[in-house]
Amino acid sequence: MNLEQLKKLKEKAQKQIALREGGKKYRVVVGMGTSGVAAGAREVMTTMLDEIEKQSLGSVEVCVTGEIGMVDAEPMVRVEETGGEKTVYGKVDIEGARKIVTEHLQKGKKVQKLAVGQAKEKE
Amino acid sequence: MFEELSQHILDIAMNSLSADAKQIEIGVVESRRHDRLVLRVRDDGHGMDADTLRRVLATSASTKRSRRKAIGLGLAFLRQTSEMCGGRFAVRSAPGQGTSVTASMRLSHIDRPPVGDLNATILALCAAERKTTVQLTYHSDGEKFHFDSRELATKGAVPL
Repeated sequence: MNLEQLKKLKEKAQKQIALREGGKKYRVVVGMGTSGVAAGAREVMTTMLDEIEKQSLGSVEVCVTGEIGMVDAEPMVRVEETGGEKTVYGKVDIEGARKIVTEHLQKGKKVQKLAVGQAKEKE
Repeated sequence: MFEELSQHILDIAMNSLSADAKQIEIGVVESRRHDRLVLRVRDDGHGMDADTLRRVLATSASTKRSRRKAIGLGLAFLRQTSEMCGGRFAVRSAPGQGTSVTASMRLSHIDRPPVGDLNATILALCAAERKTTVQLTYHSDGEKFHFDSRELATKGAVPL
């Protein structure tokens, strides 16, 4: 850890706070319990925050929850559409986190490959 | 197990959020001179009574038990890391008085995990609960860095 890296923290946090206001279309919930953190949930969350900031998606809110009870599927991300569907994604890696932002949050298309407990419904 | 100390910090601070903390103070001190690294997470959440505290501290890292109880594994992990690296681990808590978790280790210990990405930990915490104040103080042999999430709220043009 060095101080140069830490100095960027303020700027970064400020940018992300700026995106918090206004009406939200999606709520993204990241599982940040012990198993989630161990599986890389923190990196998934910061990747999503980064991507959301880069694409200026003001209509997305990101928050966290604790253990969900599906430890083997961590890191888990739940995307909730306001007044609509909830999609649970499992085993999300950095690439997957980007995909969820660019496909689901931006274009409204679910990332079927990562979805948990959705496949049967579709068939 | 966690690969970075900053992941331990995030994990412990998530407990603080579960305890409805309004303020979380994170301290990291690195001292080459004393060959010491100290982590502290202090919150003003609802705290634990003596019984709960004893249970938390006595918990071994048994994975079977941990699935039933959220409490236990995270603190046990940090305790293990700190004791493995020649340090000490302590939790102070009382109902209504918040909780303070302190873990030290030998800076030069070969098994000591890197501090890792503290920025990611703080950003995740700030995004997790916007009403909670997150503070970070980082000391490294005379150098100092301070972060306070309230500064962002007052300085920026965007009201929280």
